[in-house]
Amino acid sequence: MPNEVVYVPDIFGDDVLSEDAIIWTSSLTKRFGHEVAVRDVTFQVPRGQIFGFIGPSGSGKTTTIRILTGYYQQTSGKVLVFNTQPTRFTQEMRERIGYMPQLFVLYPNLSVWENLNFAASIYGMSLARRKRLNELLDFVELKEHKRKLARDISGGMQRRLSLATTLVHSPELIFLDEPTAGVDPVLRNKFWDHFRKLRDAGRTLFITTQYVGEAAYCDLVGVMREGRLLIVDTPEGLRYRAYGGDVVNLQTVNPMDATTELDLSQQHFVKGKIIRAEGNCIRTVVDDASTAIPALLDWCRANSISVHSIDQFYPPFDDVFIQLVKEEENHD
Amino acid sequence: MTRIAKSMIRMMAFLSKEISEILRQPRLLLTLVLGPFLILFVFGIGYQNKARALRTLFVIQQDSPIKSQIEQYAKTLGPQLIYAGVTSDEAAALDELRQGKVDLVAVAPVNAYETIRNSQQAVFILYNHEIDPTQISYIKYFGQVYIDEVNRRVLLAITEQGQKEATSLQSELASAHQNAVALHDAIQAGDMVSARQYQSQLATNLDNITLAVGASLGVLNSVQQTLGGGSSNAGAILAALSDIRQNTNALNNINSSSYSKTQDLQNATKIENDISNLQSQLKEFTSINPDVIVRPFSSEAKSIAKLQPTALDFFAPAVIALLLQHLAITFAALSIVRERSVGTMELFRVSPLTSSETLFGKYLSYIIFGALLTVALTLLVVDVLHVPMLGSWVNYGLVILALLFTSLGFGFLISLISKTDSQAVQLTMIMLLASVFFSGFMMSLDMIKYPVSIVSWSLPTTYGIIMLRDIVLRGAVPNMNLLGGLALIGVGLCLVSWLMLRRMISTH
Repeated sequence: MPNEVVYVPDIFGDDVLSEDAIIWTSSLTKRFGHEVAVRDVTFQVPRGQIFGFIGPSGSGKTTTIRILTGYYQQTSGKVLVFNTQPTRFTQEMRERIGYMPQLFVLYPNLSVWENLNFAASIYGMSLARRKRLNELLDFVELKEHKRKLARDISGGMQRRLSLATTLVHSPELIFLDEPTAGVDPVLRNKFWDHFRKLRDAGRTLFITTQYVGEAAYCDLVGVMREGRLLIVDTPEGLRYRAYGGDVVNLQTVNPMDATTELDLSQQHFVKGKIIRAEGNCIRTVVDDASTAIPALLDWCRANSISVHSIDQFYPPFDDVFIQLVKEEENHD
Repeated sequence: MTRIAKSMIRMMAFLSKEISEILRQPRLLLTLVLGPFLILFVFGIGYQNKARALRTLFVIQQDSPIKSQIEQYAKTLGPQLIYAGVTSDEAAALDELRQGKVDLVAVAPVNAYETIRNSQQAVFILYNHEIDPTQISYIKYFGQVYIDEVNRRVLLAITEQGQKEATSLQSELASAHQNAVALHDAIQAGDMVSARQYQSQLATNLDNITLAVGASLGVLNSVQQTLGGGSSNAGAILAALSDIRQNTNALNNINSSSYSKTQDLQNATKIENDISNLQSQLKEFTSINPDVIVRPFSSEAKSIAKLQPTALDFFAPAVIALLLQHLAITFAALSIVRERSVGTMELFRVSPLTSSETLFGKYLSYIIFGALLTVALTLLVVDVLHVPMLGSWVNYGLVILALLFTSLGFGFLISLISKTDSQAVQLTMIMLLASVFFSGFMMSLDMIKYPVSIVSWSLPTTYGIIMLRDIVLRGAVPNMNLLGGLALIGVGLCLVSWLMLRRMISTH
C-alpha cells in the first residue's frame, strides 16, 4: 500500500499523514515470543529534520529502527517509510537509506579505507569515489589512520568509521543507532554539527541515543520507555510538558518570607508550585516566560522586593527526562 | 549508472574484500600452498612401494622329521619373511608375538607325513597380533603365498629326484635293449628257453624303469593333460612303457597252443623299437627344467597406459583435489557464518545488496582465489616434484573450476545451516573425513558397495580425483558424465544456498 493515505492522529494535531512525513507509524508493535519489545508506537518524522529517539537501554529504540529499515517485520500496526512498507523496499529505496547499527559491524581484518570502500561498493557507488572517501575520512578524523586495520583502532575510531560508512553514499534518510556512544565530547559536538549540516542540506536523520542531553540538538524528540513512546515533541515542548510550563529563576537581594512566597504562588501567571533554589533564588513555573517575566517584575516592585536577577531557566534534559518518566508513572 | 553496473560493483566488492582478507594472512597462504606440497614431497621421499617384511618365528617339534627341511625353507623363502628362529615352545613363541618381538608365529604341523598319508592336508598355523584388517588380510595372503611356495618346493624335489633317477636308468635301458635284442634272436632261433629267460630279465628291467620315473612322469603328465597339450612327452613315455610291458607279457604265450612265432617276432621287434624310443624320450624328459614342470606358468604384468606412475605421481592429483575441496568448503563454510557473527548481515539486509549478489560475489572471490592457489600448487608439483602432466591444461582447468564450484556449494550450505564458527568447522572436518574414506583417495571406489557408494558419489573429490588422474596420468579427456554430474551437484547446491540466503536476508 505504498501510496495509501492513512488517517492517524499525528503530533501536529491533524489526523492526516503529513505530506512531508518521510516516516509514519501507527500502533506499531513488535513481539519476540511473549516479550513485547515495542508497544503501540505511533509517530511521524517530517522530511528534513533530526528526529531524536531517546530512552534507556532496552526501551525499544533499536527494535523500532530495525522495523523502519525493514530488518524486522512488525507484529502489528502500520509503518511507512518513503510511503512504502519497509519490507517492500526496492533496491533504489534502499540506496536512499543509510544505517549505522548500534555495534561495530565492519571487518576487523580490513583497513579503514577498505571498509569504507566496501560500504561504498555495496551501495553501488561509482568507482570514481576516492575524493568522497577522503572527504568522509577527513570529517571523521580518520584520514591519518586509513591504512590501519579496523581491529587496531580504538572503539571511538570504530564508531567514527561506522558513521563514515553510513554516510558514504549520501543517503536521503539516515538511521543512526547511538552514533555518539563511546565518542569523546569534542567529537560528539562535531558529529552533531555535521548532523545539523546534513539536515540543512535536506537530509532526514533518525537518531537514537542514551544521552538525554542530546535531545537539545534534535528538531523533534521521541521519548521511549519500556517499549512505549511516551511523548514526541520539540525539545522546548518536552521541557514545557515536563514542568507544566516555562521555568523562571528569580533571584532577590533579600530572602523572601513565607507570606510573600504564598502571595506569589497565588498570582495568575504562576502555574505550579514554587521551588526554593540556592541562595535567595526561587524557581517558578509559568505559562509563558516572555509574558510572565514582566508581570513578575511588576509584582516584585509592588511588594518592594529588590531583584538581583530574573531569567528563564532551561532545565537540563536529564532532569526533563526524569520528570517526564515520573509523570508517566503517576499517570499509570 | 545502470542496475547491472551497480550489481557488478556490489559483487566485485566481495572479491576485493575476500582477497584482501586472505592476503592479510600470509601464514595462511604459505600453509595452503606449501603444506600440501611438503606433504607430497615427504611422501615421495618416504614411501616404499614394497610389501611389509614379517619377522617370523617357527614352532617345530624337537623330534619332527621335517624340522631341518622347514628351517632350510624358512631361511630362503623370500625377502618378506625375516627368519626369527625356531623353537619347540609354542607358548613362549606366542608371548614373543604379544610383546611385539616378532610379527608372526608359524606353527608347523605335527606328524605331517602321517597326516598326508591319511589323505589330509598338513596345516601350518600362522599366529599374528594385528588389529589392522588390512594387515590381517596381508598376513593371510602372505601365508597362502608362502605355503604355495613350500608346496612347489616339495613337488620340485620329487621331480628332481625322478629326473635324477631317470638319468641313472640309462644302463637299465641299455640292459633292457640288449635283452630285447637277445629275446628277438632267441625267438628267431626257436630257443624258447633262452627266450623266456630274456623275457623275464626284460620284465625286471621294465619294473625298475617304471618305478624310477613314475612319480615325476605322473606330475608332468597331469600338468600336460590339464593344459590340453595333446600327445605329450610324459604321455608318450608312459604309453611306451605300457606298450613294452604289453608286448613283453604277450610273449608269455610262447608255450600255449595258439603260439605264433611270427607274432612273437613282431612283438620282439616292437619291444626293441619301443625301448629305443623310450631312451630318447627319457633323455628329453630329463632335459626339462624341473621348476618349469612343477610351475609351468608365470605371469608378467604389462600396462598399455602411457605412463607407469610412481606412488607420488598417483597421489598428487588426488591431494590437489582433496585440498581444493577442503579449502573451498572451509572458506565458504566460515564465510556467511562469520558475516552473521560479525554483524555485517544486518548491514546487508538494510542495504541494496541482494542475496544473489552476496552469494555470487563470494563464489567469484573464492573461485578466483582457489584457481590462483591451484596454479601455484600445480607448478610446484609439476616443476619441483616432477609429476608428469600428460593431458590438456584446458581440461585440467575445467575440472578444477567444476570442483571448486561444487565444493563452494557445500561450504555455503554448511555456512547457512551452522549457527557458529565452531559448528561450521566441525561440519567441514566431517566432510574432509568422509572424503578421505569414501572418495577413492585412500582405497579404490570398487571396495565401497551400494548404498554407501552414494556417499562417494556425493563428494566433489570423488569426481575430482578420477578426472584429474585421467587427465594428468593418462592424458585422457575428462569423462563428460562425471564432469556433468559434478557440475549438476554444484548447480543444485548453489540454488539451495541462494534460497536459504535469500530467506536469511529477508525480513524477520
